[in-house]
Parts: sequence; structure tokens; C-alpha cells
Amino acid sequence: MELLDRYLQAVKKHLPWKRQDDIIAELRANFEAQLEDKETGLGRPLTTGEAEDWLKQIGPPRQVAARYQPQQYLIGPALFPSYLFVLRTVCFWTMIAYTIGSVALLATGTVSGSRVLEAVLRAPGFLLTVAGWVTLGFAAIEFAATRRPEKFPTLSGSFSNWTPSTLPPLEKDAVHGKKPRSLASAVAEVVFGFLFLVWLLLIPQHPYLLMGPGSLYLPYSPFQFAPVWVPVFWWVVAVNVVQVVWRCVDLIRGAWRQPRRAELIVISAIGLVPLGMLLAVPDHAYFTLKNVADQARYGAALDSINLSIKWSVLVICAIVVLELVWALARMSLEAYRRRAASMQ
Amino acid sequence: MTVAENLFENLRLELRRGCLTLAALAQLRQEHYGYTLRKALAERGLEIDENTLYPLLRRLEAQGLLTSEWREEEKRNKRFYRLSSDGEQIFGRLLDEWQAINASIHNILQ
Repeated sequence: MELLDRYLQAVKKHLPWKRQDDIIAELRANFEAQLEDKETGLGRPLTTGEAEDWLKQIGPPRQVAARYQPQQYLIGPALFPSYLFVLRTVCFWTMIAYTIGSVALLATGTVSGSRVLEAVLRAPGFLLTVAGWVTLGFAAIEFAATRRPEKFPTLSGSFSNWTPSTLPPLEKDAVHGKKPRSLASAVAEVVFGFLFLVWLLLIPQHPYLLMGPGSLYLPYSPFQFAPVWVPVFWWVVAVNVVQVVWRCVDLIRGAWRQPRRAELIVISAIGLVPLGMLLAVPDHAYFTLKNVADQARYGAALDSINLSIKWSVLVICAIVVLELVWALARMSLEAYRRRAASMQ
Repeated sequence: MTVAENLFENLRLELRRGCLTLAALAQLRQEHYGYTLRKALAERGLEIDENTLYPLLRRLEAQGLLTSEWREEEKRNKRFYRLSSDGEQIFGRLLDEWQAINASIHNILQ
């Protein structure tokens, strides 16, 4: 039957070449016996339409041949959990290194919108390249392990060393019945933290990002920023870099559900430094006059602005100190409870 | 196909997969070639389509559970399969397992 020959020829093209003749000979014997049965039942040969229906029922040649292919994975189930862990770790460390590198490069040169945008737009491509290399590496291990399983005995038994005692302690939030922080919100915090950092770095060159239309008035304003704002600005950048890095590390360690008391203490403590710098400014001169001759005209307004800033800084400082004391107190209390519980 | 039907179909295929292997091994205590095996299983109420059965025979043979030989029958060369000695052992153990599962399900349903 010509149609069957054409069908088997099409199947053969998609079969593993080493076994294709053998498989086709077997399929031919089976199909011819089936055809013979059908024709005996009907008492006549199949019409072209009936033969087409029959072969259609068996399935497209490519699909029939696919069943004879060995099951193939780029990365198989034994290796996949390790791959996912390594991919996640490498991507996050790459992101941290990239962020630090980009910030350092921007800090050493001129901070401009186009340079920051360029750094941000380059990030996904960079991450994809890294992820691609990790995937290729694991695909190579899978390829080798499939063909030489005796050389990779640990792959199948990689989880055999696991013991329940290595499990992390019960999370506090779970104990108190509170909903722990989700992975999505932890990732969002890192992403928005990074975007905030970019925004912060853009402010010196593009003050409208902070002041809006008011920035247009700056060149014509009789006031200017005091020099103290430069180190204060870089301290604020440093605080945010520390925070983003800390949260990235938490994500990599899988510790995003744990309470962030230590982070809060460290960030609050570092955050007190720029506030202290501002409070230490002699006569609280946060803004000065561009032209000393304008003292008579704008002196009162300048004093009022500087006084407002001084009180604002004092209030913020008080809040940060209270937060710090509160976090330290809770941490001490928890440590005391743990110690008391262990002694019982 | 609706989501529920699709889900049912996937679960049904999953449920059948192991049973088909067991049925093929059971039937191959007697020698068969692909088409007669398929017919024999269908006559006993287990329909298996060609694309599942024929590659399954190849896999079972590669795993050492079946032996095969090409032989001429009715003027046509056919590949005959039969349970190997390893296959007989494994089949016995699988059968015990299947009967235990079957009995458990039966108990659960009572």
C-alpha cells in the first residue's frame, strides 16, 4: 500500500538514526497485520479515504516517531533543585556586584540621566547572560551524568545527607500566627530599593526629581545649599546601598521571612550619622545666601528656613533614636526569653 | 476540552501508565508480536493505542524485562516478544504491589 509506505517513510525521518530501520520494520509488520485484519473484516481492500482515516487515527508521523526517542531533559529532575538554587544565588550576587559596580562608576564620574539609564538598561542583558552560562553549565553536567552515570554518583544521592536536625528554627512570625513576609514582597522591596537608589543618584543632576517645578526657581533663588549637604547626601546613598544589599542577602539565604530587627538596628545606627552631621552644622546654616549683600532683604527668611530644617532634623533624629531603642529593647527581651527557656 | 476534562485526562493517563506496563508484562508470559499483543489486551478489555504499546515494548526490552527475536510468520518478518527471566521476577513483585494497592483502595472505599 503506497500510502502506508509514505507514512512509514515520514516516520523514519524522525526516528533515532541508529534504530530507525529496525523500528520501521517492526512498525511495518504490525501495521500490515492490522491492515490485513481490517481488509479481511471488510472483505475488500480499504479505499483511499478509509486508509487515510486509519493512518490519521494512528497519528502524525512526527508524533509516532517521538515516542521512540529517549526522554530528554536539558536539566533533569535530580539536578533541577540544585540548578534553581545556584541560578538564584548567582543572579542575586551578580545583581549586587552590578549595582555596587554601577554606583561606584557613577560616583567616580559625572552622574547624568543617560549614564544611569544606560546602567539600568544594561542590567537585564547582563543578568540574562549570567543565567545563560549557569544554565549551559548545568546542561553540560546533565549531559555528562546521563551518559556516564557512574562518574556522577552523587547526583542521584545529593539529598541523602539531609537530616531533620539541619532544618532552620521555627520562625517567630509563624509562632505568633502572623502572616510571614512573602517572597513577592521581599523581591519587590529589593527592586524598589534599587530604583530608589537610582532616583537618589539622579537628584544632584536633576533636582526636579526631588523638587518638581520648584527646581526651575533654584538658579534665581538668593539661597544656596551649604557644603554639609554633599557628605550627607553620600551617607544617605550609603545607607540605601547597605539596605538593598542586606535584603538581597536575606533573599539569597532564604531568610526574608525572618524579623528584620538586626537590619533595623544597623540602618538606624548608620542613619543617625548624617542626622548628626546636620545637627552639628554651626548656627544650623543649612542654606546660605548666594550674595552676602542680600542679608538685609532675605536674612529673616533664611533664618526661618534654617530653623525649620533644624527642628525637622531634630524630630527625625528623635524618631530614629526611639526606633533604635525600641528595636534594641525587643532584641534584648527576646534574647532574655530564649535564655530563660533554654534554662528550663 | 475544559480545564476539568483536561485534568481528568491527565490523571487518567497517569493512573493507566503503570497498569499498562503490568498488563503488557502479564500478557507477555506468552510470546506475542506487537499487533497480536495489542489485540489480546483489547480482547481482555484493555485498549492500548499503537503509539503507546509499541514504544513501551522497546523500553521494556531495553530494561531487560523482555526478550525479542525476529521470526518469519505467515510470510512476514515479525518481532516476537516474551518475558525474560529478570522480567518474570520483576513482574511477580509488581503484581504483588498492584494487588496490595488494589486491596487497600478497596478497603478505603468500603
